[in-house]
Amino acid sequence: MDIFLEALLNIIDPVTLIYMIIGVGAGLMAGSIPGFTIAMAIVLTLPFTFSMPPAQGLATMISVLVGGLSGGLMSGILTGIPGTPSSVATTFDGFPMARNGEPGLALGIGVWSSFCGGIISAILLVLFAPQLAMVGLEFQPWDFFMLVMFALTVTASLAGEHLVKGLIAGAAGLLIRTVGEDDAVGVGRFDFGSDYLLTGFDFIAVLIGLFAFSQLLSDLRNPVTARNALSDRKQVKVKIEHRRAIGILIKNWVVVIRSALIGMFTGILPGAGGSIANILSYDQAKKAAKDDSSFGKGDPRGIIAPEASNNAVEGGALTPLMALGIPGDITAAIMLGALLMHDIVPGPTFIKDEPALAYSIYIAFFLASFIMIGMQSGVLRIFVLVTRIKTYVLATVILTFATIGVFALHNSIEDIWTLFFFGILGFVMRQFGFPLAPMILGVVLGNIAELNLARALAIDADPMLFFVRPWSLFFAIVAVFSMIFPIYQKHRDTGSLLERLFSPMVLLSISLPLFMMGGLLRSTLAMAAIAVSSVVLWRRFGNRPKA
Amino acid sequence: MLATFEIREPDYGVLSPAAWPRLIVIILGLLSVVYLLQSIGMPKEKIEAAPRKTMVEFILYWRNVIAVFTIFALYLAALPYLGMLIGNILFCFILLTVLGGWSAILMHLLIAFGASGGMWLLFTFVLEVFLPRGSLTGV
Repeated sequence: MDIFLEALLNIIDPVTLIYMIIGVGAGLMAGSIPGFTIAMAIVLTLPFTFSMPPAQGLATMISVLVGGLSGGLMSGILTGIPGTPSSVATTFDGFPMARNGEPGLALGIGVWSSFCGGIISAILLVLFAPQLAMVGLEFQPWDFFMLVMFALTVTASLAGEHLVKGLIAGAAGLLIRTVGEDDAVGVGRFDFGSDYLLTGFDFIAVLIGLFAFSQLLSDLRNPVTARNALSDRKQVKVKIEHRRAIGILIKNWVVVIRSALIGMFTGILPGAGGSIANILSYDQAKKAAKDDSSFGKGDPRGIIAPEASNNAVEGGALTPLMALGIPGDITAAIMLGALLMHDIVPGPTFIKDEPALAYSIYIAFFLASFIMIGMQSGVLRIFVLVTRIKTYVLATVILTFATIGVFALHNSIEDIWTLFFFGILGFVMRQFGFPLAPMILGVVLGNIAELNLARALAIDADPMLFFVRPWSLFFAIVAVFSMIFPIYQKHRDTGSLLERLFSPMVLLSISLPLFMMGGLLRSTLAMAAIAVSSVVLWRRFGNRPKA
Repeated sequence: MLATFEIREPDYGVLSPAAWPRLIVIILGLLSVVYLLQSIGMPKEKIEAAPRKTMVEFILYWRNVIAVFTIFALYLAALPYLGMLIGNILFCFILLTVLGGWSAILMHLLIAFGASGGMWLLFTFVLEVFLPRGSLTGV
């Protein structure tokens, strides 16, 4: 209790609170400006925290992080351009809802989902940090590699009927990431003798080009609509509709909790962060919905899922960082840098050795979420004015900002060329109906996949291990089923053999790796999976003559 | 359109670093073949639904996109000489005027100065990021 009080006093110190408010505000604005990523905002915060005591510095950085995660939804919902890669899926339904004349409600749902996601993950971080981290500890390179493959196929299947196009986009993304020196040996690849290509494409520049630049071009394509304002209505509802939003959230509490859990779990996995979690949980919300026809047209569940999950990711990403010293994503990696700056090396004993600091992190996490809710309306008032600006003006200004932002990443003009080339590529792909999400995922995860493949094969050259190790097999199985899923969806409600076999087969298949993992809990889960699938199979096939 | 995905890039690298890209290219190639077969198998009505455009119609249809690409490329080429402050103001102003027409030229000038200048000030003095200076202009 003394330690808790000490930590609390650390955080509610007036100076720390002021830093936290500034941090949340800066994060909200940074997250809302496409091309200004959360990671970049946190990197820029790092120098300011040099002179602060560790708890204060970390609290400031956590504030920027929480603000940034929530800021991404503003531009995503209001302009259709995600402010950060963590809000990519928010645009799928948030933007249509705003276009349908309900930007206030869309924002309200986004803000409160973010808040709930953050709070749920903060509670889970405090309660289950050591236990949850133990699952991630079991993962070996084989399992990481298969996990990346699963993430790619699931995103490709999100593209629905265009599974092949999705897979092509994903593979192309992986290929883009291979340009430059490889991480293991440092041999140049696809450099064609150019120094610029040898260093590889900066993936943030690639992402901004692929997603934002191409989106801006699509907006500008029609010369007539380009001169109109983003919102056709003269009266834009500036106010966030808190009450209605909370009502919708309570009605969809299952989606909130499921998405927060997905976010939390994705965050725990090293290397997987908000950019995967928001797409994964959107996918899950869509799959779980009885009627998914309203998804993509402004379904509130399509906003709740990504926003609750991307805020929950940070609770997850901090878990392995605090329990093992392994950052869960890029932003957590920067936090690790901040800890090291103060000569604190987190490891398995971190929570025991530095309890006051650990509690400070927890408290800052909670508090930042509350500050975020309080500040959102204020910052939004400034930001919402943006919707009244004409499309071409906003597009040009964003493009100009993006050039500076991309330049500032590495002080290099070449990165702006990267932005330009991938803008063209993204635009062409959009026009031919290729989904960009798998490609973006491929670019982000490319080197993680390769590193783990290399590690796995260095330990043992036998490729069969990918299908013999339990976790790896588990991810391989779900990857295969995620690829069959679009076909299953087409045959839904037709009473075909595939429709009746799909879900029991998923359960039966995953019971095998669960058994292989051993232990009482997992064996019980596996038995349950077999039991449920048997019952479903018997109902669907055994009763047939009677029906 | 289909053929662009069949291009196989040469591999520069020794055995181990080349393995991963080669694996991806093989998968990409296989997927392209599947896509090609799917496209060939598509019913004819779907393909002929899209009306053919003449060259002039094509340029008119895409004129804004072509304008953005051209101006952006020119801006990037001129950036080392003009520097980021002047380059961005010019880029912003020209693009606004090309897309939005001449009627609001004064507003475009204000936006260009305000947005580019403001960002430049923020980065140079507040965030202390070094933005490129032009070799001709010195700013």
